[in-house]
Amino acid sequence: MYPDHRNEKKVIYISQTRVSATMTAILLALDTLQMTSFAADENSSSKASKNPSARSTPRDLDPTSDEALLIQVSNHQSKAAFDQLFNRFASKVFAQGMKIMRNEQLAKDLVQEAMLTVWRKAPLYNLDKGNVQSWIFTITRNRCFDMLRKQKRQPSVLSADDIWPTGFEEAEAVSEAERGTVEVELSRIGKLVDQLPSAQQAVVKQIYILNRTHEEAAEFLEIPLGTLKSRLRLAMGKLRQAIGTDND
Amino acid sequence: MTNESNFHPSTDMLRKFSAGDLSAGMMVALSAHLELCEVCKRRSEEIELELAGDWRPAQTGADSSELSDLISGIVSQPQVTELREKKPILEQIHMLEHSVSLPKVLAKATSQGLVWKQAGGGINRATVDLDEETQCEFIYMKPGSKTPVHKHQGTEATLVLGGSFSDELGEYRRSDFIFRTSSDMHQPRSEEGCLCFSVLDSPLTFTKGLARLLNPINKLRFQRAVGNRAS
Repeated sequence: MYPDHRNEKKVIYISQTRVSATMTAILLALDTLQMTSFAADENSSSKASKNPSARSTPRDLDPTSDEALLIQVSNHQSKAAFDQLFNRFASKVFAQGMKIMRNEQLAKDLVQEAMLTVWRKAPLYNLDKGNVQSWIFTITRNRCFDMLRKQKRQPSVLSADDIWPTGFEEAEAVSEAERGTVEVELSRIGKLVDQLPSAQQAVVKQIYILNRTHEEAAEFLEIPLGTLKSRLRLAMGKLRQAIGTDND
Repeated sequence: MTNESNFHPSTDMLRKFSAGDLSAGMMVALSAHLELCEVCKRRSEEIELELAGDWRPAQTGADSSELSDLISGIVSQPQVTELREKKPILEQIHMLEHSVSLPKVLAKATSQGLVWKQAGGGINRATVDLDEETQCEFIYMKPGSKTPVHKHQGTEATLVLGGSFSDELGEYRRSDFIFRTSSDMHQPRSEEGCLCFSVLDSPLTFTKGLARLLNPINKLRFQRAVGNRAS
C-alpha cells in the first residue's frame, strides 16, 4: 500500500559517492602556479598520473575571476586573494543579512560568519558544481539560518545543513567550526577592550584576564569597591553593546 | 518504485525557500518535499542559481580598519580540508501495521522523540517544536477517519508521508505538498489511513456543529505548541 523507498535511497547513496569523487578531485587539484606549465598537456602530465583524479582548472580562467581567487585562497591560503573576495562579497552578504534579519548588527555578524566559512571551506569548493557567487550565496543563506535560530533561541536540533542537505559534513568535529568563530570573536573583543578608557580597561583586565575577585582587584587598583563595580558595569555595558549581545 | 508528486509548492514558495526567507517550520516541510520530489529539487536548484545571479550589494557602513581587523581575524583560522559522507539517518514511523520512512530532515527534527496525542475522530497528533511562528506536527489519520470541516486563519502546508487522504479538492499521496490559505474550507478524510507532516502558521477554525466548541481549545493548543520553547 505504501511506496517502497528503499530503491530510492540506494540511488541517492550512489550519487553521493560520485560527488565525493569530484570533491576529492578538487582537493587534489594542481596548484595554479604549476598549472600554467601543465596547461599544454593536461591529460598526460606526471602530476596527473600521480593523482589520477586530479584535474586542472580550465586554462582560460581569468586570474581576476572569483574562481581564480578562490583557488588561490584554497591552494596557497592567499590572504591577498581572500581580501579581494571579501571586498567583492561583504556588501552582498550584508544585503542578504539585512533582507532576512532586518538588523544592521546581525547583518554585520553575518558578514563575519559567512566570510569565515568561505575562508575555512575554500578547499572544499567544487568548480564543477557552480560559480563562486552561488557557492557564497548558499553559504550566506545557511549561516543566516543558523544565526537566526541561535538569536531566537530556537531548538538547535536542526541546522541549515538539514534544510539544504549536501550529504556531507566536516570530517573534523563540528565544534571546530564553533571554535573558529569563537576565536575571531575573542580577537574582536580584545580589540574592543583596548578601546575602553584606561580606568575601565584596568578593571576588566583584573577581573576577566587575571581572574581576581572584586575585592582583590579593588585593593590592587587602590580604588573603593563601589567604584570598581560601577566601572566594571560601564565597561561591560559598552562591550556588550559593541558585540551586540545586550540581552546576555 | 518512483513516486511522482501531483501537488507541488508554488514557484514563489520555492523561491523563498531557496532564499532562506520562510519560517523554519515551513522550510522543513519544503525540504522534506524536495527530498521526495525530484522535479521540485531541480527547480529549486535552478532558482538558487537565479537568486545568486541577481544578488545585489548594500552599503555596510563599516569602516576600513574594522574590516581589515575582521579579515585578519578570519585568515588566521585553519581551513577545512576534508569532508566525510554524512551517515544517513534511517527513521521510520509506525502507524498500526505500516511503517513509513521519514525524509532525513524530518527524522532529524524528530530525533528527540514524538509524543502522540489523540485528538478525536481517529486523528492523532504529535507536535514538533521548530520555531515560534508556526505550529508543526505529525498528523496520523486512522483508516476511515475524518476531521471536522474547518478553515484556516492563516496558512497550512501539509506533506503526505504515507497512506493517503482526500478532501473536496483532490486525493493526496506520499510526497504531495498541499498548501491552503485562509479562504479555503475543507474536510480531510482518509480511507486507508494517512501520515502527514503539517505546518500551520495560525490556529484552525472549525465551522460546523459541536466541533466549533473546540475552537478555544484549538487556539490554546496552538499557543502551547508555540509557547513551549519559552520555558
